[in-house]
Amino acid sequence: MHNFSVLLKGEMQRLLRYKILQISFVVTLLWLGVLFLIGSEHVGDFVPLFIFMDVSMMTVLLVGANLFFEKQENTLKTLLITPSDFFALIASKFVASLYLGLQSTVFIALFALFMFDVSIAFVWLMMFVLLITFAHTALGFTFTVYVKDFNGLLAFIIFYMFIFAFPSIFYALGILPSSAEVWLMFSPTHASLLMIDFAFGVSVSWWLLVIGSVYLVLLSLFLIRFVVSPKYVETAVRE
Amino acid sequence: MKNKVFEVKDLRFRYAKSNVEAVCGISFDVYEGEIFGLLGPSGAGKSTTQKIMTKLFRDYQGEILYYGKDLKTYSNAYYEDLGVGFELPVHFSKLTGLENMKFFSQLYKQRANIETLLDQVGLLEDKDRMVGEYSKGMKMRLNFVRALLNNPKILFLDEVTNGLDPKNARIIKDLIRAFKADGGTVFLTTHLMNDVEELCDRVAFIREGEIVEIATPRALKIKHGNREVRVEYFSNGKTEEAVYDLDGIGENEAFLKLIKDKEIETIHSGETSLDDIFIKVTKAKSDA
Ligand SMILES: Nc1ncnc2c1ncn2[C@@H]1O[C@H](COP(=O)(O)OP(=O)(O)OP(=O)(O)O)[C@@H](O)[C@H]1O
Ligand SMILES: [Mg+2]
Repeated sequence: MHNFSVLLKGEMQRLLRYKILQISFVVTLLWLGVLFLIGSEHVGDFVPLFIFMDVSMMTVLLVGANLFFEKQENTLKTLLITPSDFFALIASKFVASLYLGLQSTVFIALFALFMFDVSIAFVWLMMFVLLITFAHTALGFTFTVYVKDFNGLLAFIIFYMFIFAFPSIFYALGILPSSAEVWLMFSPTHASLLMIDFAFGVSVSWWLLVIGSVYLVLLSLFLIRFVVSPKYVETAVRE
Repeated sequence: MKNKVFEVKDLRFRYAKSNVEAVCGISFDVYEGEIFGLLGPSGAGKSTTQKIMTKLFRDYQGEILYYGKDLKTYSNAYYEDLGVGFELPVHFSKLTGLENMKFFSQLYKQRANIETLLDQVGLLEDKDRMVGEYSKGMKMRLNFVRALLNNPKILFLDEVTNGLDPKNARIIKDLIRAFKADGGTVFLTTHLMNDVEELCDRVAFIREGEIVEIATPRALKIKHGNREVRVEYFSNGKTEEAVYDLDGIGENEAFLKLIKDKEIETIHSGETSLDDIFIKVTKAKSDA
């Protein structure tokens, strides 16, 4: 992990300078505004959904935007010719992304708690949010190394959300039998949503949570090892 | 004999989506303390070769030795020795010049004085401006500073004077010479023959991924020139010209008589310019 702390400091400095932190914060404020309008009666249903949107879709989007910015400026390539460990390069970007996810979650959760007295299992929420952001950072990297430009990334994200939304919708509508839920855990979006729901007091069987967590970790590690690592250099060097 | 910094043997490389080799079996050595130039037309494989030698591309065929040991056996600590100047600007546009340099500098064990370097390339006054506001020439000068941040032993420079006005190009070239004078080794790629003439101790010409010539600039000029002497002299109220064989010129009576009797205006031996050599040796195989 040679140079990790220098790299992380750089990432955090750039989150500010490239206004990514600010954009993420404005999006959070938007969620808060919408929650405020929804009012106390239904807010409990929407808080988990908004947190989910922030740590899944926003994470992929911000990771992708960050990588495209850096690719454009050729800085991904420059960092590759420094003595930094390859793993430290990736890890610094992951940690910056985790920070953004946690920050949004904390704001939304505190708002829900103090404005509407929504009950929250904070420790579970933070743990699961870290896991979900981690997985979606890995997905963001994966999508980005496969697409040519930012529009390509947007298309990929929409496609991804669309594909994985279907099974969850069918399940909710009762089209899929309840025994199918274990298979739904293999949809990163379904697993993520279930975990966040759990932190907000929805009863979820523990083994679904275990399957979901293990799956998200394995999926992330698989993507980092077999997709991101081999393709990252190519992405960075391609002009 | 000087130490070999790099020994490149039968190097081959093909881009993933391409069905022809971008580099097809090149071999050359780079000696310690020299300025080695890799020259060739656009698309010849110069940047590709540099990217392989800087370990950005690792799945090449053939062998590269760095100080006698396979490059593949070196860890990323290899980069402590290297300064790399890319052909395009490589900076965070929303950080200042100084912030950029400070960030990169912290990644190395050896750290040169940033302000001194910025001053040398004339960027000290602009150090607190965002790099996004720099002109192209300023960015290229910052690239050069970036390459020197870690007091490297070896400088890789890709088209380093690209986009610089003559004054700034001169500053950079002087710094490259100073780097060499301090014992540094330089591997540079360019298609500007002017740079070559002023800087390079040895050059290799690359064409379509193959090396076609490798020698000192002087040897190349002699090899590709005509071995002749061209004399312009003033006679009967006008300028006349005569051409003699360079071989045996000291015993050539006609020549000796001419320079003794006539009012000589110019004498030139027939070595060609590097520009002409460049065009001649890198002419595509298809039009040869
Ligand atoms: N990412 C890539 N994918 C496929 N082919 C590539 C890629 N980059 C370069 N090439 C090809 O490899 C060959 C060598 O390119 P390279 O960039 O090394 O040339 P160069 O000598 O540096 O040219 P220039 O003087 O224009 O910089 C060219 O034919 C080019 O089209
Ligand atoms: Mg090039």
